[in-house]
Formats: sequence, C-alpha cells, structure tokens
Amino acid sequence: MKALVIDVSKCNGCHNCQIACKDEHVGNDWPPYAGPQPLSGQFWIKVTDIERGTFPKVKVAYKHDICQHCGNAPCIPACKRKAIIRRDDGIVLIKPDRCRGDRNCVAACPYGVIYFNENLNIAQKCTFCAHLLDKGAKEPRCVDVCPTGALTYGEEEELKNLIDKAEVIEPAGLSTKPRVYYIALPKRFVAGAVYDPAADECIEGALVTLNNREDGVSLTTGTDEFGDFWFEGLKVGMYSLSVEKEGYGPHKIGSLSTQQDVNLGDIGLISLNDKRSGKGLGD
Amino acid sequence: MVDKTPEKQEERTVVKGLCFIGVGIDGNTIEVDLKDGRIIRINPLHYDRQYRAELLKPWKMQARGKAISPSMKSLIPPLSLAYKNRIFSPNRVLFPLKRIDWDPKGARNPQNRGKSSYVRISWDEALDIITGEMKRVIGQYGPHAILSQSDGHGETGAVHSPHGTHRRLLRLLGGYTLQCRNTDSWEGWYWGAKHVWGMEGVGQQVPATNTMLDIARNADWLLFWGCDPETTSWGFTGQMTSRLCYWFTELGIKSIYICPDLNYGAAIHADKWIPIRPNTDAALHLAIAWIWITEGLYDKDYVTDHTVGFDKFEAYVLGEEDGLAKTPQWAAEITGVPSRIIKTLARKWASKRVSIAHGNGGPMIRGSYATEPGRLEVILLGMQGLGKPGCNQVKMQEWSLYGQHERNPMPRSSIMPTVFAADRGWSGPERLEPLPKQIIPKDLIHDAILHPPISWYGKSLLSRDPVEFQFERYTYPAEGCSEVHMIWADTASWITSWNDTNTYIKAIQSPKIEFILSQNPWLENDVQFADIILPISTKFEVEDIGVEILSGQFNTIFIDSKCIEPRGESKSDYEVTCLIADRLGLLKEYTEGKSVDDWIRTGFETSGASEHISFEGLREKGYWVIPPDPQWEQYPAGLIGFHDDPGNNRLQTPSGKLEFYSQRLADHFPNDKERPPVPHFLPFGESHQESLFHPRSKRYPLLMVSNHPRWRVHSQHDDMTWLREIPTCKVKGPDGYFYEPVWIHPSDAEKRGLAKGDVVTIFNERGGVLGGAHVTERIMPGSVYMDHGARYDPIVPGELDRGGAINTITPHNTTSKNATGMVASGFLVEVEKTRLDELRAKYPDAFDRPYDEGAGLVVERLIAKVDD
Repeated sequence: MKALVIDVSKCNGCHNCQIACKDEHVGNDWPPYAGPQPLSGQFWIKVTDIERGTFPKVKVAYKHDICQHCGNAPCIPACKRKAIIRRDDGIVLIKPDRCRGDRNCVAACPYGVIYFNENLNIAQKCTFCAHLLDKGAKEPRCVDVCPTGALTYGEEEELKNLIDKAEVIEPAGLSTKPRVYYIALPKRFVAGAVYDPAADECIEGALVTLNNREDGVSLTTGTDEFGDFWFEGLKVGMYSLSVEKEGYGPHKIGSLSTQQDVNLGDIGLISLNDKRSGKGLGD
Repeated sequence: MVDKTPEKQEERTVVKGLCFIGVGIDGNTIEVDLKDGRIIRINPLHYDRQYRAELLKPWKMQARGKAISPSMKSLIPPLSLAYKNRIFSPNRVLFPLKRIDWDPKGARNPQNRGKSSYVRISWDEALDIITGEMKRVIGQYGPHAILSQSDGHGETGAVHSPHGTHRRLLRLLGGYTLQCRNTDSWEGWYWGAKHVWGMEGVGQQVPATNTMLDIARNADWLLFWGCDPETTSWGFTGQMTSRLCYWFTELGIKSIYICPDLNYGAAIHADKWIPIRPNTDAALHLAIAWIWITEGLYDKDYVTDHTVGFDKFEAYVLGEEDGLAKTPQWAAEITGVPSRIIKTLARKWASKRVSIAHGNGGPMIRGSYATEPGRLEVILLGMQGLGKPGCNQVKMQEWSLYGQHERNPMPRSSIMPTVFAADRGWSGPERLEPLPKQIIPKDLIHDAILHPPISWYGKSLLSRDPVEFQFERYTYPAEGCSEVHMIWADTASWITSWNDTNTYIKAIQSPKIEFILSQNPWLENDVQFADIILPISTKFEVEDIGVEILSGQFNTIFIDSKCIEPRGESKSDYEVTCLIADRLGLLKEYTEGKSVDDWIRTGFETSGASEHISFEGLREKGYWVIPPDPQWEQYPAGLIGFHDDPGNNRLQTPSGKLEFYSQRLADHFPNDKERPPVPHFLPFGESHQESLFHPRSKRYPLLMVSNHPRWRVHSQHDDMTWLREIPTCKVKGPDGYFYEPVWIHPSDAEKRGLAKGDVVTIFNERGGVLGGAHVTERIMPGSVYMDHGARYDPIVPGELDRGGAINTITPHNTTSKNATGMVASGFLVEVEKTRLDELRAKYPDAFDRPYDEGAGLVVERLIAKVDD
C-alpha cells in the first residue's frame, strides 16, 4: 500500500508542495485520473501557518491538509455513482469521467480535502499524482519539490521506520485508516523565563517541574543560560509547575491549562541571601 | 491579443535558470516539460537525470559525527515553482503602448503621469517616436540629457539580460547619464563596516571560504542578526540555506535570532529570539562591549595585534567621551532588551565560539545611521578574535557572488563557470567601461530632478568600486553636461524599492522630464508613469545560456532554452535595443556583427567549461554538472589567515588591521557627527528623526520594519496567484481586494480598535499606504512590519497607495550626511483603521479599476476604452 509520511518538524513552510500540485494540475488534464484544477481556490495539499505561544515565546508550526487515501474512506460509499475508487495500491481516486457532480463526497470527507469544481461539475482532490506514478515516477510532485525531505512517499512497509515514529489523524468516532502519517505534530508547550529581579540576572540551571494533574506524570527540565525553559509535546490538560534553585525561594503555579500553548512570561525568584543578590553587576 | 497557436510536438524537457538576481548567474536551475508549445510543468533540475550520481562526486561536509551533502536536485523556491503565473499574468504588456495624453509634437502633460491611460500603437510607430525623441533630446541638450535606469534585479539572463542592454548603444551615441545603483541591501556594511575591515565589494566578510564547514565544526552559537535565512536566500540561492539551518541545529549549535520580528527563519529555527527595537542594534552592541571591557572578557592580545584605535573606542564605551557609560541598563531602555539578557548574551558570547549570520538587508542594516551597527558588529567580532575557528561573519545566500570562489562559504567547485562575455547587459563587458561623465546615485534621483544642483560622496556600479570613491565628491549636473530630460528605463522598481518614493513620483511628473521610455514584461510600478511602454518577453520566450553558481550545491552550466513563443508582440530587452540601434544606423556596431546564437557560443567558449564538454554535448544534454574541487576541504576557513598572521594577511584598510577608530574617516569628514571615526549609537540627528526618543514619535508612535519580502524578490512576483492565495502573502479585504499584510502586535491592535483582516492606513508626513491588518505575536509591541515591494496601485499618485508599496513613505535622506545609502526600514508611522467607504466615495476611479482576484492588477485598468 502506498503511503505518505509528513515530518512536520522538517517543514520550513515554503509551500512548495502546495504550489507544485497547482503547477501539475491547473490547466493540465490528466484523464482518467483527474480533470484540470481551477486556477485558484482548490488546495489538494494545503499548508497553513499555526502560530504558537505569545510574545516573545513564539514558534510557528505548519499544518498539512491532504487526502488521506483512507483504507476505509467515507467518500467511497457516499458516492452513489461509484465514481470514487480505491486502487490495489491504496490510492483513492475520483474518476472524472464517472463523477456527475453529486457532491456527497465533499460532505462525507471528514478532512475537508475534497473540492467541487463548478465549471467541470466534478469533485476533485489529491491523486498522489497517480498519472505520473503509473508512468514510472517515484513520487508525487509535492514530495519531489520538498527541499528539506519533510515529505516521504513510498510503500507502507518500506516506510516502517518512519511510520513507527508517526501518528495518523482520525476524527473522533471514525476509523478511516488513513495512509498519510504525521511525525512531530505539534502538541502544546509550556515555556517561561526565570530570573533574579534583585540581581537583575538570568537564572541558569533552575529545576522546573511540570506535573500533569490528571495522570500524575511529572516532567523536569533545567533553565538555559537565558533562564528559559520549554516543555514541548504536552497533552492538552491541567498541570502544576514549580521552579526551584538553590539559594532562592521556590516558585509554584498550582494550576495551568494547556488548552493553548502557554508562555508563563518572566518568573522572578526571590533570593534567600539578600546581601549577595542585591548587587547587580551593572550598578 | 491572442498568443500564436503552437504546433503539435512530442513532450520534451529543457533546462532553465530561474533565480531573480537579474544578472547572468543563477542559483535556481529548473527542468521545464514542454508539449505542443505549452509549458506542462516546472520541476527542480535533477542533477542525475543525464549523469550518473557517482560521476558528480558530491561533496560531503562532516562535523560532530554527522554529514551533509548536496541534494540530487536543485532546491528551488516557490517563487520559481509558481512561475507560470508570472509568464501568463493578466498584467503582461503584450504590445507597444503610448500614454493617451502625451503628444511628442504637442502637449506632453507630464503632470498626468500615473493617472493617464494608454493606447495601443504599432512597433513601427513606437520606434519612430523613440528614435525621433532620442535625436531631438540629444540635439537639443546633448547626450547626457538621457538618463539610463538599467540596474537592479529581475530574471536571470546573459544575452537577454533584463537590465542595461541599452547602455552600450547610448555610449555609441556619445554618452548618457547613468543612474548609479549605489549599493542597496548592504547599506550599513558598504558605508560603515568597510571602514573597519575593508572587505571591498559588499562590505561583508571575504574570504567566505569554508565558513559553513567552520561553523559546523567549531561554532557554539550562530547569531542571526536581522537575518532571515528562510526568505532572503530564496530568489538568489534557493533553499540549501534551509537545509543548513536544520543541520546546524542537529549539530547542537544554538541559533539565536536578534530582530524585532519573528521572521520565517526564527519561527522554525530559533533556539532563542531576542526581540530588539528597530534601529537600536548599535546600543546593544555597545552594551556588550561595555560588559567585555569592564569585566575583562575580550581577547586583549588579539586586540593589540589585530586592531587600531581600541583606546578611543573604549573611551566612548565607558563614557569618557560623552559622560554616558554604555551599560546594559542604558541599552535596555533604548533597545527594549532586558538588561539581564544583554549581560547573559555578552558573558556567554565571551566564553563560546560565536559566528554571525546575515543575508542581504534585514532590520539591522537598512535603518537610519546603519553604518553604526554595521561597524560595531565587526568590532565585537574583533574583540573575540575574529577569524579563529567558529568566529566569522557568514552570509546565508548569494554564494559565489561576482563569480568569485572566495565569496562562497560552501564547498568549492572545481570550476567557477561564468558567461559574462555573452552578457549584453549591465553585468557583461559593459561593466568594465568607464562610468559615464554624468551619474546620479539611485537614491538621489528625485533630488537631482527637483532640486539641482546636488552633490554627494561615492559612486558604485555593481558595489565593486573601491572604498576610496566614498571620499570623492560628485555633482549633478556634471561640468559641461545637461540636466536629464529623457528617461530610458528597463527596470520598474524604483517606487516599490527605494527611498521616499512619493517624492520620486513628483519628480517624474516634472515638465523637465519630457519623455519616459519604459520596457517591461508587466505593466507594474514605474511602468505606469511612462510615455511609451514596450512589451518585453519573459525568459521562457527566448534562448540563452546560463550558469548556476549561487546554489551552494553544484555549479552547472546550461543552455537556457526557449520554451514558448514570445507572448503577444513582445521582444527581449536585447532585441528591443537592436531594433532601436538599427533605426539609428548602429546595428552592426551595437551587435559587433554577432547573432544571438553567436553570443551564446561566445558565452560557452569563455565559460571555463569548454575544456570539459563540447558545445554540441552541452546542447544535447542540456546541462553539465561540475564536480567539486577534490581539495575543497583544504582551503583555509574564513579569516583564519588574518587571525593567525595579520602581518602577512592584511585587511583592505589603511592600517591593514581592524580599525576601531578610522583615521581615514577623521581626515575626510572631521566634523561628521553622523558617522564619526568611532562608531556611535545615534537615536536621531540632522539627517534622520526615526526614533521613539524623538518628538515625532508622539504623532507617529510605531516603528515600521520592512525586510526583503517572503513571497517576492523586491517587486517581482506580486501578481502570482498561487502565492497570493497564501494567507501570509495577502489579506483579502471586505471589498475583495487583496491587501499587503501589515503585522501588528495584539496590544497595539487593541489600542487602535483593529482586528485581523481590517484594512488599515499606515501613514506619516510623507504619505499613506493601505494594508491588511495581520494581528500577530510575531512582531514586538511598538513595532509594525510590512514586506517591501508590493505593487504600487495609486489612489492619489505621490500621496496615497492602495497596493501596499511601503517605500512610498520611507525616509527621504540617505543613511547619513556623507553616506549615500538609502534608509528603507525602521521609520516612524501611525496605523489606523481605513474608512473604506469614504475613500471609495472620494476616489471612485481608483477603486473601480478592473481587478483580478487571483492576480490583482491587470493591464486593462490602464488601457483607454475604445470610445475614449
């Protein structure tokens, strides 16, 4: 079975994948695989910026929406004209010559990746560039143009090492069995900066402990030279946090939610030794 | 106008170069699949398509147990991949046009430039008018009355160079006035850093040799100081830069980004973002120096052996000169960087191996008084032993600029191919000719036209001229020369890329300018002010020869093949100049009797590749991949030679050393407070008042940062539908118009009642620009951000723009009094919600022009209706 692995941590957001798809399909007719894509408005693979955190603890992750070529594709039974097929290699195609514009598939797709072409009166989506693969191409256009190797295409078995690190996106209650796998999908982060307000210094090497209040799992990290700490890859949930450093009073946060990424901002620790910390080097 | 019906053909693949530097060197090679006269697709060049991968002998950089090699394909950016949009843009000029109310034999109506519509004329009529005007102007005023605007970026081309093909013809006619590019994107390095460390050319570090390998093996930190490696490199070098950034992170090198905006590199690569207020980098530099001096954290032996003038620098830092110690607390107030961060940055830097990364431009180097941070950065590098392993300044793009190995930080190629001999434009043999008797720096054109005489220091053609020129005073009009009365422009980006361009618009509406000839593929920006417009073909419509030397992967030479017939009645810039030369009886002298094919062959024969592959072989394969120099790893890295033995590896300064105090500046400009012999931090001064510490900030309280654009190269690519669909490229307004995004922090948006997607007016006393609010955490409070280069779509020419051409309101004055660079970032503005309905009611014509939701501006907006 063919599969696509997207390593989000390697995506630099250049949108080459999105654009190569348009270069291949806009104005080019590939019967019987796909009709021409309109000049704009359809995104058979779509990249979206996800801004995470707040100033100055900000990161950007890129999200990739593409047909999942599901093993159990909801679009297939939704089409009364049987215009949607799954090939033996797993590629799901909407046959342009059979589609008569029923649009049921558009509503049935839980990923929102089927588009309707008003002019041609057909539904359209990613074909994994099957018209090229069948002529000997190794991979779809979007994969070939990725400069960083964030996209990998091939036989599912051959991609096992990557797939072991990956996850699929299955909407709640559905078993769609996607053939698109994602590595390093952004979860949540909790970040902050620890400093000594009296000395006007960053605190390096403070021990920061984050407890998940639901499952009790505890994570620790140390602050870097700028006093920064980041916990990455967190589940959405309720947490508590403490910051400790020898010679300072601890700082505790009883409850914080990771509904969003969290920037706790600057956390000042109070020195237990006023004499030492009261003297900033710049004074 | 319908394009010619193509003949049926088999599918075939050709090679082209598609970077946007505008001269005959490339970084983005592509394969184009063609069938039946159509472009089917644009692919990266797969280097191993015609050659076995092992024959290419790809280099391998190894460091810390990891390795990186070139990809087997070119790493092109989306700007190249989406280029069909540009070729088939609805804004293409397809036939010659004449401004409807410009009559060379009657009323010229210069005041209507930018407002008038156009009518189609024949090539014959156009050429008659052009040559008639040229003869008249030369006869009446002399040859210097013709101003050549023929520089800047564009598609790559050799024979069909996009810029400067007419310079040779004008020279044959007895001379002309040259718009001297006078260096852009490098302002602070060129006018500042050169006075500390020489570095002829751009002012950035040379030799760059093996500095990437050096970083990989030796650096602990890499400071991206106002540098966006995921943006500026795209149009020139492609995306090898991106791979390097990921690799450096993998190696454990800490990437620290110092800039007001979380740029696209910082957004994914930064281990630490240190936001800094625009135009205040010099204060941060000085506070770091203060820590090093007061805590003894710099390399004293190195400073003794490798530098001059440290004592004077030290006196300024410690406050002995002006009574103001440059402490972290002092700098924190100015920069917005907390003093504890400044102290940590300084102390840790002193204990680590640190290199500094730059692209072109960026907020550190293009503000007012950019000479000062440009110089101070080099001084900081010097205080920590510049040139020792892991301690260099490195450039993330435009590798092998000028075709020189020593400007390439990546593994050296066995051959540096060039086709400059074939180049019929400004970077060919013409660049070796003496500059014309009369020049005008590009950033002073408006002053030259409106307020002559003017004078200034410095001249520069391709930024290659010796620093001594910076001490020479030039005047316009030059002795014995007329003022300019005609402009011949093959470049269209003054309004979108230069300084106080609203004033430039007033200059080109002056009755002094009797005739403007513009030739361009698209009816954009400056073109809409011309009297005659000639249709130019894109490079897909002509045959040429090219070399890839900027990509950092492989060097290649290729036949830059023609893909489709010229659209409409378009011709290449070279062909246009040939037509005009022919009418003037100078065709043979102009072409030297050679055809385009002859020139392509000349390019090949002088390229350095002809000893290894035949011309026929190159034609058959389409391209040849040049293997790396087998000895590449042996070349000394960066400035290690100067570090180890400064006596025998002198810098290009009078002392041969790093000049913390420039005696030369002191001698030439003894009273210059804006670029004194020791670099200073200047919040504002005589030339500029772009600071939150100046009273102007009460009216205009936000500092505008304007970098090189993400989705354009300067003003190229703004009509590309597949880019404009990307939400960070354009913001769709409630009126269906796609506005240029302006980044504003939520706290600043809230104060002004702005929400994401609102149409806003960005303004100062120089005018107003509309934009689409992009409310984001990626810009620091108190600053706003807008890419430069969005197409100019005047509501009121010279006053108010709808398209987002932010340079219309950039500062007028040069970098400082005696430094003739431009200021394009870090200037004061205010932002407010636009009352769109009121504007539309007041200016119905501007708002009702034909518009394409995908591509934006269309050529029809300026074509006179038949019954007009």
